[in-house]
Amino acid sequence: MNDAETMIEVVDLHKHFKDLHVLRGISTTVKQSEVVAVMGPSGSGKSTFLRCLNRLEEPSSGHIYIEGVDILAPYIDINRVRTEIGMVFQSFNLFPHLTAIENIKLAPMSVRKLSDKEAVDRGMALLEKVDLAEKADTYPEQLSGGQQQRVAIARALAMQPQIMFFDEPTSALDPEMIGEVLDVMRNMAKEGMTMMVVSHEMGFIKEAADRILFLVDGEVVEDGTPDHIFNRTTHERTLEFLSKII
Amino acid sequence: MSTRPDNTHKFVRTHPSWSVWLRRPPVVALSFALLASYAVFLLPSAETESSLLFYLNINLFILYVLFCTGNVLADGKKPESLKMLVALALIAIMCWLFYRYSGAEWHRLREFFFNWEKLQGKWWILWQGLEVTLLLAFISGIGSVLIGLLVAILHTLHSPTLNFFLRVYIDVFRSIPMIVIMVFIFFALPFMGISLGSIVTTVLALSLGYGAYATECFRAGIESVHTGQLEAARSLGLSRWKTISKIILPQAFPVVIPPLTGILVAMLKDTAVASIVAAPELLKRARELYTSETNPTPLVAAALIYLMVLIPLVRVVNVLENKLGKKRSR
Repeated sequence: MNDAETMIEVVDLHKHFKDLHVLRGISTTVKQSEVVAVMGPSGSGKSTFLRCLNRLEEPSSGHIYIEGVDILAPYIDINRVRTEIGMVFQSFNLFPHLTAIENIKLAPMSVRKLSDKEAVDRGMALLEKVDLAEKADTYPEQLSGGQQQRVAIARALAMQPQIMFFDEPTSALDPEMIGEVLDVMRNMAKEGMTMMVVSHEMGFIKEAADRILFLVDGEVVEDGTPDHIFNRTTHERTLEFLSKII
Repeated sequence: MSTRPDNTHKFVRTHPSWSVWLRRPPVVALSFALLASYAVFLLPSAETESSLLFYLNINLFILYVLFCTGNVLADGKKPESLKMLVALALIAIMCWLFYRYSGAEWHRLREFFFNWEKLQGKWWILWQGLEVTLLLAFISGIGSVLIGLLVAILHTLHSPTLNFFLRVYIDVFRSIPMIVIMVFIFFALPFMGISLGSIVTTVLALSLGYGAYATECFRAGIESVHTGQLEAARSLGLSRWKTISKIILPQAFPVVIPPLTGILVAMLKDTAVASIVAAPELLKRARELYTSETNPTPLVAAALIYLMVLIPLVRVVNVLENKLGKKRSR
């Protein structure tokens, strides 16, 4: 925790939904600029794990340290924590009543108190980055899934977060649109963003991820490099899962 | 090339269909001719002494009318213009039967119901009443929308204790008839030393009563916004209030407006209940005239004024609802 390079530290995280014990004591650390892929069979708690880390779900017990600060402490303003963590969702969740640029500038203006001009400048630069500058004034329903997801990434980046969470960012996309979203994510990884990605995109993970957390039934069964997990693992559950998705 | 076995027997009609036969144009024409002759030869005259046979005869005639017209209206193949004609004929026949057999004093219809001379120089009383009605509706409308919005937003806090009390408010005021709320406030509360004027009583009762309906309406609108929207907003660090005001409400409003307009129109109609607590609105003023002129024409005039005001509003609600329907189905 004293290591300045540690961005996220999770200690013995538990989550119950009524009788369901979804997360059973997860502990891990994520260093600065590290890209961590979270994999596991459906129902293993991958999404819940990610959503606990910015308290979209309230953890039942355990500790979460973001940049060394215990974010479960009562004196923490979770909204300020969330400005440091961008999140991208499976179903994009763009605001349908706002155009692309309005989607992006909303949070910087109302949370970071940027002026309209600053927010638009920042937003246009980000749209440029995800290659959608010409779609700035388009409403989400007129964009394809891939375009919507790229706008969603730009919206998250507009808060200039230290960390980015991706919750199955390509699962709701048509196959031909997956590439454009993964390209954007690859570039972010290259630029040194700290990322946690719930995904089963093998190609992307092999290339961009530094580590894979393999979750089964709310527990980390394996934690290793992609090379280790994909090529040299001997763990029974991991092998079973990999045989199914390849 | 293989020869296919004859499958006709699988689909051929196994029992006779009367409806097909009955709907042939010559049969329809014949049944209407029979209907006309029934009216001419078999119906009793209005002066006949009432007896069981008298009522039986008229009832049989009505059944036959319904049978003939229903036969045409239910036929998908007949042109709409013909159906419209038959429907109008049905209405005309029913009106004629009522005219002939109700025993009402029809020759005095104009004298009682449309005696506009009685209203000469007194229309301003009704217009004044209409002004009060619209004013009551306007203030209570604002009141109920504010209450509805507030309660619906409080509901999004998902606090079980708070929700219990909100639920009590909604259920209680949706269950008590509006007239009972008004009468209670106006006639019962003074016993406790709380005397409210008739206008204040009306505004309070309408706001509380229709506030409960507006709450349900806003709540449905807020719940129609996908939870992903809330999560996206919260994950960007937006506060609870900013999330509601910038993300949830702008998306809920288009959903809320049509039913809310409907509720407000219903409230405008219910201002007439205020005549029971002597609020000087349209119906109350019309009843005053009715008493002083001993003639129901003012009541007819009031009904017509309500129609003139409300028909356009009801149409607006309809248009709004259709628009929403189209948006949803897109």
